[in-house]
Amino acid sequence: MSNWLTQALAQYQSSDSTDWLSAAREKSLQQLHNTAWPTRKTENWRYTPLACLERTSVAEPTNDAFTAESIEGLECIEIVFVNGKLVSELTDNIPGVSISLLSESKESAQNLFQKVKPEHHVFGLVNDVLASAGVVIDVDESVVVDTPIRLVHWQNGGESHVRHLVRVGKGASLAVIEEYRGDNPLVATQYAEYQLEDDAKLNHYRFALHTNQAMVVGGSHFNLSDRSELHSTLIGFGSLLSRVDIDINHCGEHAMATQNSVYLLEGKEIFDLHSNVEHTKPNGTTEENIRGIVGDEAKAVFNGRIHIHRHAQKTLAELNNRNLLLTNKAEVNTKPELEIYADDVRCAHGATVAELDTKALYYLRSRGVSEQEARIMLNFGFINELIEQLPLEPLVEWLQGELKRRFNDLRNQIPGVEAV
Amino acid sequence: MSQAALLSVKGLEAKVEDKTILKGLDLEIKPGEVHAIMGPNGAGKSTLGYVLSGREGYEVVGGEATLAGTELLDIDIEERSRAGLFLAFQYPVEIPGVSNLEFLKSSVDAHREAQGLEPISSKEFLKEAREACKQVNLPAEFLKRGVNEGFSGGEKKRNEIMQMLLLKPKLCILDESDSGLDIDALQVVAEGVNSMRDGERSFVVVTHYQRLLDYIKPDFVHVLSDGKIVKSGDASLALELEAQGYSWLTEQRSADPIEMHKEVM
Repeated sequence: MSNWLTQALAQYQSSDSTDWLSAAREKSLQQLHNTAWPTRKTENWRYTPLACLERTSVAEPTNDAFTAESIEGLECIEIVFVNGKLVSELTDNIPGVSISLLSESKESAQNLFQKVKPEHHVFGLVNDVLASAGVVIDVDESVVVDTPIRLVHWQNGGESHVRHLVRVGKGASLAVIEEYRGDNPLVATQYAEYQLEDDAKLNHYRFALHTNQAMVVGGSHFNLSDRSELHSTLIGFGSLLSRVDIDINHCGEHAMATQNSVYLLEGKEIFDLHSNVEHTKPNGTTEENIRGIVGDEAKAVFNGRIHIHRHAQKTLAELNNRNLLLTNKAEVNTKPELEIYADDVRCAHGATVAELDTKALYYLRSRGVSEQEARIMLNFGFINELIEQLPLEPLVEWLQGELKRRFNDLRNQIPGVEAV
Repeated sequence: MSQAALLSVKGLEAKVEDKTILKGLDLEIKPGEVHAIMGPNGAGKSTLGYVLSGREGYEVVGGEATLAGTELLDIDIEERSRAGLFLAFQYPVEIPGVSNLEFLKSSVDAHREAQGLEPISSKEFLKEAREACKQVNLPAEFLKRGVNEGFSGGEKKRNEIMQMLLLKPKLCILDESDSGLDIDALQVVAEGVNSMRDGERSFVVVTHYQRLLDYIKPDFVHVLSDGKIVKSGDASLALELEAQGYSWLTEQRSADPIEMHKEVM
């Protein structure tokens, strides 16, 4: 067991454990004791060292005032946590939707906790034990929620353990934005579990926008029932340690999932994305597009697994990871994995370190755009392609702004573009 | 008496990989003229546009080309555009992720900068771009989409014409802008071109068919075969070609290539 973990768990042992989750917490704690702490030899953590957790001194948060920057033109239900504490009002006026704090939830949430997130995530177990910040959202049958729910977490030090539990009822529809930000050295585990009932629809966004001093591990996990539909978008900036696990379980038939991820890394950041899709039932569809631009000496890790079980006939699954490396020292470790045990399925996967399309470059230049500017446009276009197709236009514009801000730091590294 | 040429191409020879495609092509176009270039497949019609615009992989091995006094073959792709050359592509490329509007504004600003002008204001540009969309019958929403992303063949061709309207080039080369178009789209393209004829701007219309020339009346028609212009005439030549095909020309040429070449001049 690592020193970090010992210290982290000490918080639990010394705290009052009579809450509604105590049984589940105890179980995970036991499991954690029986689980080896990841090292470089652990396949799932091969490229992402955890030593920073031991080495980095993390000061207590200063609890500065924080206001979530609004997304212009987008009406959202905003729920804001600062250093793990709720600082906004919890709304209770959406018909058919209940939102409560994790800490105040009752038995109804019991069957959502640790029901979607797979048990093998070590930090997930830590989160089970320590989770204190987060909300439980339950959408009743057939309720179409027009206003997206935006869950903002901001942290400027210390440790926090975030857990959101979301159930989208039969035929209901919801959009959730998970937004994580932070300054200064900090540690956080950030997990969300989503249960989609039959015919439910979820638009999901996860934005990991920490600065480079954060050490964050987390994931978003989804159970898809019959004919449910998930559209998930992940935006990741790297950090000292930034690891996200996306798990999608096709528990029902005819479910559909699209998962698009974009990462944009600079400095010595690490961003590690693991996605795992389980097709246990027939007629499911999964499409994953993951694109990244890696500059400076940053490192991206992508591991995308699609597991098609024996009975999951007529599955359609596609996984594609493309990367642009801007410098000689930028690094990407990508591994798509298909495991197929059914014989009537259509699957494709690919992972590339891409180069710019020379035809596109010629086309832009033939209209008078300089080669440098054309290269910049095409590099941004490479990631923007996954953003521009999102359904909420104000969100698209806001995201493009966030990405451009960071992209502008990197543009001088684009091969063929001279430093200005 | 003789006006200076806008485009002057002399003895142009070019190869792609190891294959020589243009074998000494001569062409002179004066301001305000419309020239049609016709000819059999593989004659080098598209190559001419690619070579003049500077596409990679098209290597010039001989000859020269000047546009309004600028030596085209010595300068970069983007500089040729800023010098007033516009090639409307036969197969415009799709560039998802790069918005049409952003791309067009960058193009227009690059042209303005070359002329010593300030960048156009976003508001003013949007107005102009919307106007241009309307003129080629494209919904203004197309400006927000990725460059040619998911456009139909006809929409791509109209987008090319829209770019031409915004960039106001001195010389436009239309590379089979009629291919794959129905009659309505063809008229839109032709009207776009005709609206830009002002006695100064010149056009090279590369086409297989007489049909487009019913709408865009050429002053001269040239037949390009095996990398050279083998016959030139007025608009009636296009009708003759429509009726008889190209074989009589290519045969005649092999019989007496020198005589043919004189006729071109």
